[in-house]
Amino acid sequence: MTEGGRPIKKRRGILGALALIAIAVGLYWGLVIAPPDAYQGQVQRIMYLHLPSILTAYLSYFLVFIGSGMYLWKREKRDDILAHSAAELGVLFTALTIIEGSIWGRPTWGVWWTWDARLTLTAILLLIYIGYLMLRSLIEDEDRAAAAAAVLGIIGFLDIPLIHMSVYWWRTLHQPPSILQPNKAPWENVHPSMLIALTINFVGFLLLYFYLLSLRYRFGEMRGEIKARRLARGG
Amino acid sequence: MTLLKETYLLLWKDLLLELRRRESLLTMFFFGTLLLFVFHFSFDLAPEKVPEMAPALLWLAFLFTGTLGLAQLFNAERENHCLDALLLSPLDRGALFLAKTAFNLILMLLVEIVVIPLFWILFNLHSWNLLPQIFLVSLLGTVGFCGLGTMMAAVTLRARARELLLPLVLFPLMIPVILATIRCMENILRMGEFGEALPWLRLLLGFDVIFLTLGVLLFDHVIES
Amino acid sequence: MGAWGFVGLAYGIVWGIILLYLISLKRRYNSAQVELDALSSVEATDCDVKK
Repeated sequence: MTEGGRPIKKRRGILGALALIAIAVGLYWGLVIAPPDAYQGQVQRIMYLHLPSILTAYLSYFLVFIGSGMYLWKREKRDDILAHSAAELGVLFTALTIIEGSIWGRPTWGVWWTWDARLTLTAILLLIYIGYLMLRSLIEDEDRAAAAAAVLGIIGFLDIPLIHMSVYWWRTLHQPPSILQPNKAPWENVHPSMLIALTINFVGFLLLYFYLLSLRYRFGEMRGEIKARRLARGG
Repeated sequence: MTLLKETYLLLWKDLLLELRRRESLLTMFFFGTLLLFVFHFSFDLAPEKVPEMAPALLWLAFLFTGTLGLAQLFNAERENHCLDALLLSPLDRGALFLAKTAFNLILMLLVEIVVIPLFWILFNLHSWNLLPQIFLVSLLGTVGFCGLGTMMAAVTLRARARELLLPLVLFPLMIPVILATIRCMENILRMGEFGEALPWLRLLLGFDVIFLTLGVLLFDHVIES
Repeated sequence: MGAWGFVGLAYGIVWGIILLYLISLKRRYNSAQVELDALSSVEATDCDVKK
């Protein structure tokens, strides 16, 4: 807030402006320039949102993991704020991913929801990190909440590969493979214009993500400061 | 070696306490049996459907009874600030974790030893010869459940409404164990041998090792002051 | 609903939710800022009184 507060705020503003531009270009390219998919038609355009959302969600959970580990190691407040902020954004982007997937699934598969491995995995991730946020909100003591949440952040992240494995086996051993071919790389037989649309949207989402993260992080810092000052005043 | 000795001593303390009070075991056992009755009334299964449904129902019963046990796992320590006293002693926190895990494990296994045969009787299953395999899978699943469960019981220890929060936090993380045990049991009941269940068994074993290790390493951080 | 309908629905909901989140975050941020400034000014007057 005091030293270096202004330049950071300015840099965040620039980040936000860049995000806005990238998103606008991404929207235009994804909705207008890119051709419709040969098989899925126009609905495929949802992918320009879907893939960047899930990518940012995973990035978020990785940051929760890093922040949690650093917090337990060094016990610095900033790592905890980072983990908390990233978890909140992770939940947001995971929820968005599920919504997009569901809207894409309705015309493609004919149903809003199916117990496809990827959908199931994403839903479980959402549940884990909603649990993380609930845990944080239900412990009064800041330091205890931070330590408990950090342990959950580490365990939750390390559990993801196990959940991934079990959910995929569960689906492949018990159901014929879905109409999607999970083994086929998404960039095979893809029009270059589609790739550009996807890349721009990736960049847009990442910029937006870091803008939101920086804002949320600063908010966490300020809240910590307010609490500390109130405590210092004996209030 | 001191780790194991401390674990043993702490476990012994908990077991003695339980022997005197008989709080957890009786309630868990009764709840498990009650669940079997409730399942029986609510599903009204055709006899040929039972082997398909049995693993899921059994594991659901264990999941609920286990959570009941976990919710009161640290009750003795919470009362009278015993936890603070324990933490002041030079005990290895890993030992505390292992002891608590083992304690809940013993309670759950005692419940399972009764509930599984009871299930076979109540639902008229005939495959009694498969019980040892079912027990083995159950054991592996329960170890994983108790390891991760003890961690999460400690994580939610200081939270408001912790009894409600515990399953909310625990169940999503437990999905590999839930899936693996149910699929394992299903394969065993269907084929009469491990066969396809082996990869699931390996996953279960991996889960157990990972979460017991993580518990020993991280328990220190959740439980302190 | 046609294909474009689904696309519109997805884009609308997604950007709508992100916008809502941004607004709520901004609101939380600003209220924290106001509170922090108030606390700072109170502390400043406290110091003056002590002097």
